[in-house]
Amino acid sequence: MIKNYFKIAFRNLAKNRMFSMLNIIGLSFGLAGFMFIATYVFDELSYDRFHTKAERIVRLNAHIHMGESKLDMARTSDMMGPILRDEYTDVEDFVRLYTSAGAKLIKNGDRWIKEVRVAHTDSSFFDLFTYQALHGDLRRALTAPNTVVLTRSAAERYFNTTDVVGKTLETNDAGNTIYQITAVIDDMPRNGHFNYDFLFAMENASYESWGSLLSHNFTTYILLRNATDRSLLENHLEEYVHKHCLPAAKQFMDIASMEEFRTQGNVFYYDVTPIKDIHLRSNLMGELQPNGSLQYVYIFGAISLFILLIACVNFVNLSTARSASRAKDVGVHKLLGSSRGGVAGQFLTESLLLSFGGVMVAIGIVLLALPLFNELSGKAFKAYDLINVRSLPLIGFLTLFVGLVAGYYPAAYLSAFSPLQVIKSRSVIASGKSFFRSSLVVFQFAISITLIVGTFIITTQLQYIQHKKLGYERENILLISDYHALGNQAKTFRDEVLSIPGIKMGTVSGYLPVSSSSRNDNPYSKETVMSAHNSVSMQTWHVDEQYLPTFELELTAGRNFSSARIADSTAVILNQTAVNHFDFGSEKEAIGKKIHFQLGSNMRSFDVIGVVKDFNFDSLRDPVTPLGFFLGNHPVEAAFKIEAADLPALLTRIENSWNTLAPGYAFSYRFMDEAFDAMYRAERRMSRLSLAFAVLATGIACLGLFGLAAFMAEQRSKEIGVRKVLGSSVIGIVIMLCTDFIKLVLIALLIAVPIAWWGMSKWLEDFTYRIEVSWWIFALTGIISILIALLTVSTQAIRAARTNPVNSLRNE
Amino acid sequence: MIRLEHIFKWYNIGGTRSFVLKDINLEIEQGDFISIMGPSGSGKSTLLNVIGLLDEPNEGHYYFMGEDVLALKPKKRTALFQSHMGYVFQSYHLIDELTVYENIETPLIYKNLSGKERKAIVGDMLDRFGIVGKKDLFPAQLSGGQQQIVGIARALAASPKLLLADEPTGNLNSKQGEEIMELFKQLNDEGMTIIQVTHSEKNAEYGKRVIDLLDGQVR
Repeated sequence: MIKNYFKIAFRNLAKNRMFSMLNIIGLSFGLAGFMFIATYVFDELSYDRFHTKAERIVRLNAHIHMGESKLDMARTSDMMGPILRDEYTDVEDFVRLYTSAGAKLIKNGDRWIKEVRVAHTDSSFFDLFTYQALHGDLRRALTAPNTVVLTRSAAERYFNTTDVVGKTLETNDAGNTIYQITAVIDDMPRNGHFNYDFLFAMENASYESWGSLLSHNFTTYILLRNATDRSLLENHLEEYVHKHCLPAAKQFMDIASMEEFRTQGNVFYYDVTPIKDIHLRSNLMGELQPNGSLQYVYIFGAISLFILLIACVNFVNLSTARSASRAKDVGVHKLLGSSRGGVAGQFLTESLLLSFGGVMVAIGIVLLALPLFNELSGKAFKAYDLINVRSLPLIGFLTLFVGLVAGYYPAAYLSAFSPLQVIKSRSVIASGKSFFRSSLVVFQFAISITLIVGTFIITTQLQYIQHKKLGYERENILLISDYHALGNQAKTFRDEVLSIPGIKMGTVSGYLPVSSSSRNDNPYSKETVMSAHNSVSMQTWHVDEQYLPTFELELTAGRNFSSARIADSTAVILNQTAVNHFDFGSEKEAIGKKIHFQLGSNMRSFDVIGVVKDFNFDSLRDPVTPLGFFLGNHPVEAAFKIEAADLPALLTRIENSWNTLAPGYAFSYRFMDEAFDAMYRAERRMSRLSLAFAVLATGIACLGLFGLAAFMAEQRSKEIGVRKVLGSSVIGIVIMLCTDFIKLVLIALLIAVPIAWWGMSKWLEDFTYRIEVSWWIFALTGIISILIALLTVSTQAIRAARTNPVNSLRNE
Repeated sequence: MIRLEHIFKWYNIGGTRSFVLKDINLEIEQGDFISIMGPSGSGKSTLLNVIGLLDEPNEGHYYFMGEDVLALKPKKRTALFQSHMGYVFQSYHLIDELTVYENIETPLIYKNLSGKERKAIVGDMLDRFGIVGKKDLFPAQLSGGQQQIVGIARALAASPKLLLADEPTGNLNSKQGEEIMELFKQLNDEGMTIIQVTHSEKNAEYGKRVIDLLDGQVR
């Protein structure tokens, strides 16, 4: 019996080649998309689960809101971990990571290499986290100062071998520090929320405020004795604020009690994030890596499921459309004694075979399109991440699932034909139009249209960001990194570069109007005594007097810094938002006013000498916040405004003078607009992904439509013949055949527009600066989808309309 | 073998009953060869379908081998049909995807016969109808007459007691038609009960008895 099923199914599929091809192609693209997204989703969900103690590890977060300043950060003081462990028995252990210094220069031969995947950590690191040791004893690896643990790839990069325990590494820490390698671990898994190549002993961290309870610069993880102790820990954290943080705050702030502080609308508390939730559920300041987003996981998951459904719908539609030609078989099989179940089994066998073919082709597509997918998703999947022993049963299950889902309706529908229908009529079972089939087509196109609208809106928003006037110049600005490597040659280098023809201007500062650069948020007040309600949290940017002209920032009142005036060292230039927050009245009135800053027991005061027009120094997702420029030395990066025809030659000249003044240090540069674009990487990824989804969904839906149109034309060939004999023109018939489909697309449009409008408005809400969702996007989408549908259907319609009526009528 | 009593079959068209079969009374003995004749729309095919259990009358009694067929449950009726009747169609209705051999084998598969038994029966059929050389061909590769022979072989494979044929020669030329009729006669001589619907006087003559229908009534 089963053998017979397969035999008939095989021959049937081979005979109806177009039907089989349309189905297999549609299914395979749907399945390939589904496999990719499933891998992506599983990967996103797998973060940090490889730690054997993951259930018991939580990370501490601080939430401090004062006045306009709202800090929600994944950071604590250096003291918090030790205090919690010492005072509470349910805290078994803690580990801190210190990364605030960012990159380190490490000597390889006679070159200094900039390493960014570096951190200082406690010796308990390997007690909490699970990593594979290759050499050395992890438990004792970081107990002494001047020790470092490397990963396999770092060891191979520096020593060409992993067996390097006992060797040393030279870094630029504190001028120059030599670390002894005490262990080598395997590379950290990709699916961890942090990923380092070098772990240095905590004692060597170049940190100035050890013991300061209110400086939040450490990432702290707590190992609980019991996973269930988490609620207990939250109580301890509240107690900790009262017992330790409040006394520390009283030293420099006018603050009586935590209750009073809070009734004034301020917030100060700590909470925890379980380590497994960090990647998808946490998005605070000071995350160690940009995290994923649970929302996107849901959206992508839903979209991939929809695309798979579209492909299944194709199968259902094409199969039921062909029912007229299959009805005869059904009737004959039943006459020969087959039960309804037997006939249904036959159809299910066919759909399972198709689904199997689809899966095989899909695996091929997955393997071929993997690089493309990695580029789109920003992941680095290898073929074995997708197809391995673990995923094979899932793929098998998927084959079965798709086969059954797609085959169920046709099997149920077709097997219900009674043999009498075959005997009586010459298999003229009306199957041209069906409400069910029409609804499925509407469903397919509604999804496609939603995705197309999404793509349009994301792209338009990106365009808007790209072309919005930000209030500063970002074209033709060259940024030179690692400026501190020049040491006391910094000025010489600057002068040398400025003397090159084509370089117009230059400024030295790490505070740049792109979010990847330095930031420094501090509280200031108008009055000399700071309290919770008069403090303004303001970006404190140390710049030189060339900063404003180089970035073409516009002064609306007052003047720029001047190196000639010594008093300018205590001067500040505010942006308009800062003026508003300090409540100075107008910009003119602000000039000459003072603002104050409390540093420990010292108070420093600054004169407002100028006001600059607001400019977007962070992502357009966020509103402009208060910002103050202070005259100072911050040799982290330098920005040069260039105007040169021959850029390579210019770069070579700059690099040459770098190499003479900072020998051994790599010359690294980037352009301002690249740094700007990097801020919107996630949005661009979103835009490319939605484009890919839209193309996939529309393509698959069109495959189905094409098949439907072909069968429809075949089915109605007699009608078309009769109409032509009665005098209808070819155009008339083409219009008649197309109208039915266009109607469906229009209905789909009506359904999709509100859904897309709602969803995309939600997405746009993330941006403070955003486009309006305007009607033309929907109009354009409507026109495009109708054109695509017309193109798909009309070829079949024209072919049918042009056949000689004699041929179609002779068949009787 | 078959007894029909007061068989009525009608359709409601616009409130009035349009009769397809009107008070049919019929007795058919084992070994009979009956030709049902009549003009288009006289109810020939409907009568055949009622006899073949493919259609139900609105009124009347139908006894097949002493059993009140219309009182049976659908499952029982299907079983009865499967074990006792073979059907031959005007347009053959072979399964295009199966070879001659497989077409003949299909009803045996549905009867759950073992592979060995099936092989024996199909071999016997191929032999008997002289189509051994064509057993691996597909229907599309055969002439109409040959296809009908396969159709008959398939109908007889399950060794029915009654062979029903709805215009078996309708799509064939006269020479092929004659061959099929000769075959029917031969089968009847061997003891097979046959009921055929036909338009042709000549074909009707092969039968032992002619039932002439006009407007749903036996004339």
